[in-house]
Amino acid sequence: MKWSRKFDSTTIRKLEGSLFIAPWVFGFLVFVAFPLGYSLYMSFHQVKITVNSVNYTFIGLNHYREILIANGSLLYEELIPFLRESAMMIPIILVFSLLVAILLNLRFPGRTLFRVIFFLPVIFSSGQIVQEFIAQGEGSLSIMETLRIDYYLQEYVPGAWAAPIQKVMSSFVLVLWYSGVQILIFLAGRQTLPASVYEASRIDGSGPWNTFWKITLPGLVPYIFLNLMYTVVDLFTFPSNPIVSRVNTSNYGSSSALAWIYFSIILTFVLLTLFIYSRVDKSLSGKR
Amino acid sequence: MKIVKRGSEAAIALYSGEKFRKGLTSLRYRLLGAEIDKGLLFKLFVYVILINVAFIYIKPILYMVTTMVKDAKNILDPTVIWVPRTVFLGHLQQASEMLNYSKSFLISISLASSVAVLQVFSCAIAGYAFARLDFPFKKVWGALLLFTFIMPPQITILPSIMLFKEFGWLNTFLPMVVPAAFGHGLKGAMFVIIYRAFYSTLPKELDEAARMDGAGPFRMFFRVMFPISRSATVVVVLFSFVWNWNDFYFPSLFMFTAENVPLSITLARMAGEMKLAEGAGEITVYAEAIKMAASFLIIMPLLVVYLFAQRWFIEGVERTGLVE
Repeated sequence: MKWSRKFDSTTIRKLEGSLFIAPWVFGFLVFVAFPLGYSLYMSFHQVKITVNSVNYTFIGLNHYREILIANGSLLYEELIPFLRESAMMIPIILVFSLLVAILLNLRFPGRTLFRVIFFLPVIFSSGQIVQEFIAQGEGSLSIMETLRIDYYLQEYVPGAWAAPIQKVMSSFVLVLWYSGVQILIFLAGRQTLPASVYEASRIDGSGPWNTFWKITLPGLVPYIFLNLMYTVVDLFTFPSNPIVSRVNTSNYGSSSALAWIYFSIILTFVLLTLFIYSRVDKSLSGKR
Repeated sequence: MKIVKRGSEAAIALYSGEKFRKGLTSLRYRLLGAEIDKGLLFKLFVYVILINVAFIYIKPILYMVTTMVKDAKNILDPTVIWVPRTVFLGHLQQASEMLNYSKSFLISISLASSVAVLQVFSCAIAGYAFARLDFPFKKVWGALLLFTFIMPPQITILPSIMLFKEFGWLNTFLPMVVPAAFGHGLKGAMFVIIYRAFYSTLPKELDEAARMDGAGPFRMFFRVMFPISRSATVVVVLFSFVWNWNDFYFPSLFMFTAENVPLSITLARMAGEMKLAEGAGEITVYAEAIKMAASFLIIMPLLVVYLFAQRWFIEGVERTGLVE
């Protein structure tokens, strides 16, 4: 009560809010901001770790130049095929998870059972287990071998793309395994579209096909972009991906530089996604 | 007379045509439905797709379970592909010995559940503050939250190792647990975002009513806000528990020389040992069965948790804005 005499109500509100956010801000400063700044600092230095001290020698952009220009094979030979692979995996994941989410949203007997099964990937895909499955060859579809698709690929697709396509094909099941959270997001997003809109469109004589393209899909646009962002982040930060596994304790300086280069690539993709989203959103809202 | 007859014939033909058409339409209605998504054909189509995809999801688990119960005779028998003739549990036993299962299991479960509990509270508080409270530089912190979400953990991992080394936390669980208490840790930013999305959908009248009844901010959060966020909490608890249980990356870097390690690490160590043994020429037909048994031992607790929680989980996913 003393407070209310001393401060006006907005100040009190701000104090309360600050109290609630304080732990998170503290955690951010200690566990995110500080290591972030430190890794940026290290990326400009030659780091030598001795038994009881750490020595830094300033070498400017040398690490970056080393990775980007002088010794580019480290980055490019692994990054470019990976980017090609992701360029194919992302649309597959998005389309597949959208399709499954729409189907799971229908009413039919046994829906709960299917939902239980379809959320299984959320549980497994983050673990070591998936690696085991890849090793066992569980990732591939045997139909690919039966139809000799890889042979046709090599024949008709330019070499630079054939290998990533083949890799995506051979781990196609895995791609489906990575779409657990995306299905969840689409399903949750589909719930936010009001039933009254669907009723209205039915009364106006719109068939389900039409309804999907005119109502469901535009309504899900924010979720499509959310999923796009999530998929990009998820694929790019997966510990088994080729670049990420290069960030290790063998050389602190150049590993930090590599991490920063990699992060700026991710950031570019995410910002691009956000930019496209704002454009699409604007054009859609103009139509409405 | 003739005309009348012909007329009645035509009428009959017309009538039977009508009947035929009626039958056809009713058949069409049953097959295709009044709209596409109500007919039999469509339902059949849906089921075919769903069952196929469900099979893809279940197949590795089936494979795992059937492989691990095969003994030498069943493994070598080419007629046995899926269903073994006899059930052999020796591989399970051996795998659990190699994994040091009872100890690692306790470590994994205490680590994952303590992180999950801490993350639920800390992320709920932070998400609540982001959604409904006011504090200085709110926009800036919101942007930094998103930044944390998209930032790969690899970029901060090396300085974190040095930081935790400075604190003397290496080879303990503290590097995983302490950040979680502050709303960070594994995918902490995502959980804050989930809570923020949930709390921002609640009506404003709720705060006002609680405030009117004289509830302070803390009481309001713990008595009103946190209890009604049950659906978001279920989602966050399950995600957090499962991801921490499965996580290999953080423990492998923060406790690489530790004696007491969670299951994800022991699995990796075991795979390494087996690879070494294979390289040394000890080729065994059991290798795959033992690997599968180990995988099963690690997944099984998650499956139990999931089967137990799935009802609330699915409901929670539908009701929260898991998304904004």
